Amino acid sequence: MNKSIALSIRRFFIEDGAYLVMLAPLLIFVVLVAIYPLLFSFRISLFEYRLTDPNQTQTFVGLQNFVRAFSDQVVISSLKTTLVYVAGTVSLELLLGLGLALLLGAETQIARVIRSFLLMPMALPPLVVGLVWKALYNADFGVIPYYLKLAGFNVGRGPLAELNLAMPAVILIDVWQWTPLLMVIFLAGLKSLPTEPYEAAIVDGASRWQSFFYITLPLLKPTFLIALLLRTMQSFKVFDTIYATTGGGPGSQTTVLNFHIYTVGMTFFQMGYAAALANILLVVVAILSILYIMVLERQQL
Amino acid sequence: MHTKIFRTISMLILLMVMFVSLLGCAPAATEAPKPAEPTKPAEPTKAPEKPAEPTKAAEQPAAKPFEGVELTLASMTDQYVTAFRYLIPIFKQETGIDITLDELGYVDLYQKLTADFVGKTAQYDLMTVDIVWSGEYAKNQYTLPLDDFMARDKDQLQLDDIMPVSWTLGEWEGKHWAYPLAGYANVLNYRKDVLEEAGIKPPATQEELLEAAKKLTKPDGSMYGIALLGAKGPAVAQDYMAWVQQHGGSILDKDGKVAINTPQNVEILKFFGELFKYAPPGATDYWWDQRETAFRDGQVAMMEGWSIARAGYENPEISKIVGKVDITVAPVSKGMEPKYGFGGWGIGINAASDPKKQEAAWEFIKWLTSPEIQKEWIRHDGAPIRRSTLEDPELNKEYPWFPVLLKSFEKGDGDYRPRIPEYSIIQDALGTYVNAYLVGQETAESALEKAQAQVEANMK
Repeated sequence: MNKSIALSIRRFFIEDGAYLVMLAPLLIFVVLVAIYPLLFSFRISLFEYRLTDPNQTQTFVGLQNFVRAFSDQVVISSLKTTLVYVAGTVSLELLLGLGLALLLGAETQIARVIRSFLLMPMALPPLVVGLVWKALYNADFGVIPYYLKLAGFNVGRGPLAELNLAMPAVILIDVWQWTPLLMVIFLAGLKSLPTEPYEAAIVDGASRWQSFFYITLPLLKPTFLIALLLRTMQSFKVFDTIYATTGGGPGSQTTVLNFHIYTVGMTFFQMGYAAALANILLVVVAILSILYIMVLERQQL
Repeated sequence: MHTKIFRTISMLILLMVMFVSLLGCAPAATEAPKPAEPTKPAEPTKAPEKPAEPTKAAEQPAAKPFEGVELTLASMTDQYVTAFRYLIPIFKQETGIDITLDELGYVDLYQKLTADFVGKTAQYDLMTVDIVWSGEYAKNQYTLPLDDFMARDKDQLQLDDIMPVSWTLGEWEGKHWAYPLAGYANVLNYRKDVLEEAGIKPPATQEELLEAAKKLTKPDGSMYGIALLGAKGPAVAQDYMAWVQQHGGSILDKDGKVAINTPQNVEILKFFGELFKYAPPGATDYWWDQRETAFRDGQVAMMEGWSIARAGYENPEISKIVGKVDITVAPVSKGMEPKYGFGGWGIGINAASDPKKQEAAWEFIKWLTSPEIQKEWIRHDGAPIRRSTLEDPELNKEYPWFPVLLKSFEKGDGDYRPRIPEYSIIQDALGTYVNAYLVGQETAESALEKAQAQVEANMK
């Protein structure tokens, strides 16, 4: 009796195709917001297409846009810049985020207060954050150079305008804004850890450091993966912070790939080339993500 | 084994989808407010109080053929936007034409207008058009050529009264794609008190300017010689082009081809870099607003800039240097036939608008640029385009620097920033590489070579 009900449910959902109907809204949504734009951007990346052309002519040029991208010095150097930016922001944020989560994991009154204050940067739009930091960094009127000068440092043209300081300066902004997010993720991860292994470790006489390295870190691996992936992707597509602070400068020191794509697309209006560059960015991120997953999965097995 | 492959593949697809949705947010972000205005900040400067009365025409119950027509005007948030706010209600009283004013920052304005033109959506019937957009708008026929209107109404327009250089605000290859609205002259602002104390005369040539900047800079950092625009992007590009003009150089060669990396331009770039030694150390990161702040704050003795900001220095709310500033024409290189940088804004009519709206929009342009309304336009922070305005005795009393403007306008050069359709490509390349030179990433030669290469690569 029970079995026949289960069977008819199974038939209804799988053999009659009802699951398709139920999945349809989500599938349609995904196709509309992700698959269609993806295919469209791939299509126009094969065309020479200037948005401001009054006749809107689109000339098929095959893979020329991609060939051009790899011989474009600006693209190569902006890719390098992007990698530096991603490496800098993600590693610092992971370390600081984990540290803060461990520090503020205790359910005490003061930890709760500090935690809620730390969440504030996340609530601000990156553009506003960028503008505020730009003002703070300003060599002649900014607060930070003012105190640096008082402390006897030579700030020169200011952090955002010095060749070797600009990148650390924008990385610092990103770290300031997004470390709290990682702290929250790690907090959630820490709270969900089972207590038994720790109890066993205490019985076995493990020190706190040992239980951290041999229990907490391995168990946090899935959380780590999520945090790493999320921040890497966000960091790769950074635009607003750079746009609001350095505009890619000084020179091209902080011109990340997404900023260059913006210039090509929204200043030169060369949509075909911009789409080709965006697709390259997509592939780079996809490859990196697969690598991360493979590495972490292998360790798990 | 199979499940593993399947899992990897589905993970991959999920990732792609995730990334695309994340990336999808980026274009939206580009439309967010921009960091700074490429033309000075828009603090309303205080004009001498003088409540304007509606012109006489309003008193007669004249026919109002455009009663009830609604127009939208997209305006740059330059100083003159205050004048729009003041004049539009008066215009409505007189004609019954209702104009909605949409105030936008530079980058926003450019992108919104482009989207409107390309989509032919006619969201905006009237728009302020930067002088450097003339060529692009003409080539793409975004705005309505005004020549038919102008020929029809030439008796009412007093065209001879408009300064010849004002026409560069929208004229392109013989047709008028925008009507002159606000003319800016590149002038040298200087601190009377500081120069007097140091016993220096206001510089008349570029060589004197450099000499003065050197002398006025105090080693303790309490005073710098000159404020300049050094920030990557339009700021440094436009300031460098101003210096190219003042040294008699050119961005285009005789045939109108882009020729950035000429030996002369390299020399000018070195001179420009030399000036930065006597600018505040943060100047390589200055946009228009920071340069203004530095000058108004009293940290800097001299500053070249658009004349429209001049009135603001007398406003104690935003300026610490009230009564201490004077202006003179922008110095040119020694022995050079004087020519002065000219810029500003025209006003255009959307080519895709309804003909009735275009007529009404033309009514507005005609009214706004008429000599009597121009006086109110000036008094509410507008900028002049007419000789009669610049020579008006009343206005000259209120704005004692008008003779300098007149002189600058008479020998104005509206083409020192090439108004060609590809202007934005040139500006972007110069914006990157001149800044790279200033911060020591490139030499003067390699900077201009790379700029030239980038322009050529993008102009194909």
